[in-house]
Parts: sequence; C-alpha cells; structure tokens
Amino acid sequence: GYRTRRPVSPSIGFGRHRSYHENVIDHFENPRNVGSFDKDDLNVGTGLVGAPSCGDVMSLQIKVDDSGQFITDTRFKSFGYGSAIASSSVASEWIKGKAIEEVLTIKNAEIAKHLHLPPVELHCSMLAEDAIKSAVKNYKEKQAKANGGAAKET
Amino acid sequence: MATASRFLRKLPRSLTLSPTHLRSNGARVLSCLSQKNTVPLDSFWRIGGSRIRHVSDTTRSFSSQGPASVDYSSVLQEDEFHRLANFTINDLLEKIEDYGDNVQIDGFDIDYGNEVLTLKLGSLGTYVINKQTPNRQIWMSSPVSGPSRFDWDREANAWIYRRTKAKLYKLLEEELEKLCGESIQLS
Repeated sequence: GYRTRRPVSPSIGFGRHRSYHENVIDHFENPRNVGSFDKDDLNVGTGLVGAPSCGDVMSLQIKVDDSGQFITDTRFKSFGYGSAIASSSVASEWIKGKAIEEVLTIKNAEIAKHLHLPPVELHCSMLAEDAIKSAVKNYKEKQAKANGGAAKET
Repeated sequence: MATASRFLRKLPRSLTLSPTHLRSNGARVLSCLSQKNTVPLDSFWRIGGSRIRHVSDTTRSFSSQGPASVDYSSVLQEDEFHRLANFTINDLLEKIEDYGDNVQIDGFDIDYGNEVLTLKLGSLGTYVINKQTPNRQIWMSSPVSGPSRFDWDREANAWIYRRTKAKLYKLLEEELEKLCGESIQLS
C-alpha cells in the first residue's frame, strides 16, 4: 500500500503545539499491515467504517483460516486523522492470530489507552473497534451465504 | 519518514483560521484510499485537534456496511440542527459553569471556543463536546464513558446515543455526579 502525506504549509499561524504520543507516531510512520486483500475471497472479511464527511474512513480486512476460527492475517487502509490511522494500525496488529470471537471483545478504550489518545480523538479508537466488528460481521455473512444460508458453527 | 515527523510535530492542537486561509493552506493527513473511493479529495481537511471542516457539496457515504448510509439532510435540516445543537451546547455551558462555582474541583475549567465545549475537571479528566454537522450529531468524549455520538430524537425531544439509548443530558448528570460528588440538574 501507499501513504501520501503533505507537509503543513509554514504560513499557517500555529496555536498551541501538541505532541503526539510516541505510539501514535510509531504507527503513523511504520503502520503495520497496510494494503488490501481480495474482497471476494471467501476467507476474507472486510469492514468499512466512517464517512468522508467526518474526515475519517477506515477499511480493515481479515483473513480467516479454513477452520473459520482464527484470523491469520490483516490489512487496513485509513484516511483521516493521524490518530485514526494509528488506531486502525493497532487494531490490525492486535487481531492477528486471534480467534474471531475474541477480537470482538477488543474495546476502543484499550486502543485509546495504548495510544494515549486525548479526549478529542477518542472517536478514532471507537472507529477502530467498529472496523473490527464490521470485518468479522462481513466474514460471517459471506460464510453463511456460501454455506447456503446455514450459519457456520464456530 | 522525516517528512512525517516534521509534519506531526507541526500539527497544532487548535487553530483559528479564516475560511480563505483554510482553503488555500489546509493540511491533509492521508494514509491511503480504498479503491472504491469516489469522493473528491480536496473536500477533507484535518487541522490540529479541532475539527475544522470544509464540507464538500457532494457528501457521499462510503459503504453499505458503514454507519453513514443515511441521508442526514432528510433527517434534520442543517439550520434546524444548528439551532438545536447550539441551544443544547450553550445550555450545557451555562449550567456547568454554575455547577463549577458550587463544587470544589481542583483544575475545574470550562471553555467554549471554535464551537467546541471543553470541560476540564483537573485530575478527574476532560470532556469534549462538539457538533458534528455532516452527521447532524453532537459528539462527546467522556473520561468515564469514552466517545459517544448523539442524534436528535424528535419524539423524545432529546439527544440520544443510539448504541446505548443513553440521553446526553441524563448521561452527563449521572457522570458528573459520580465524578464530582454533587448532583447537577441539566434537563
């Protein structure tokens, strides 16, 4: 995947400076798992959350093993706040290798705590939690459809 | 990589800019786009911690699974939204200001700037309440319950967080009483 970053024009008058926590910078500069899987792959679940009008859009994809229980790989793409990108990068990292039912218990508060997100950016971590749930939901729906409507036992 | 560090260091917490300044000099933070993106990129700006937005004329929702597939303009007209939301936020500002005079909280501070209400309760945490106009919502960040998004419910005559059915005023009343030890009457 690619990232495009445009530097801020120095002609803007700055107010108070704010420093991002090093975990956010780390995930922003070295995001894990950027990219995408083939959406049509039956083992792939795609979660797409947010809205351009809000300035945040996250796509999080999971690849599930043949048993249907474990996430073997993840990819994400995010557009928006640095904290949103970092949150989705963290999410993509945390869910790798975990059972799908377990990742559904990941809470936005944990992501926010890890990134030391300030109050105004807590919404970004919520979006990441939503993205995880959305990806799992999509995977389950695809599996159910493929199995002729019968829900897959997990 | 150096570009990113320089860029991040320069992102300010808050900015006051004139609209023309925004249009010509906005900062964009872009990781990467989904292939299906058809929304014009120049519509989106991210400047520091305050959510200053240049709202595109073509506000498109993104996905079939995402939460943004509602045409919000049909739910609540923008001017009505501003009227309701501004009233609510100003109402909260006044009442919480009075509340602050009565409770003894170290580091109590309430500020309303750039249409963002920031309530600091010292070591107890900080609330941020602001309008999210494209979604016709009031967004709140709470040190107790984290982020929540309230929609206007005409029947209930209240701002309600659909996920939990919590009402904005009631939630704040409960949380503030728990945090500060004194009850507050908001509704």
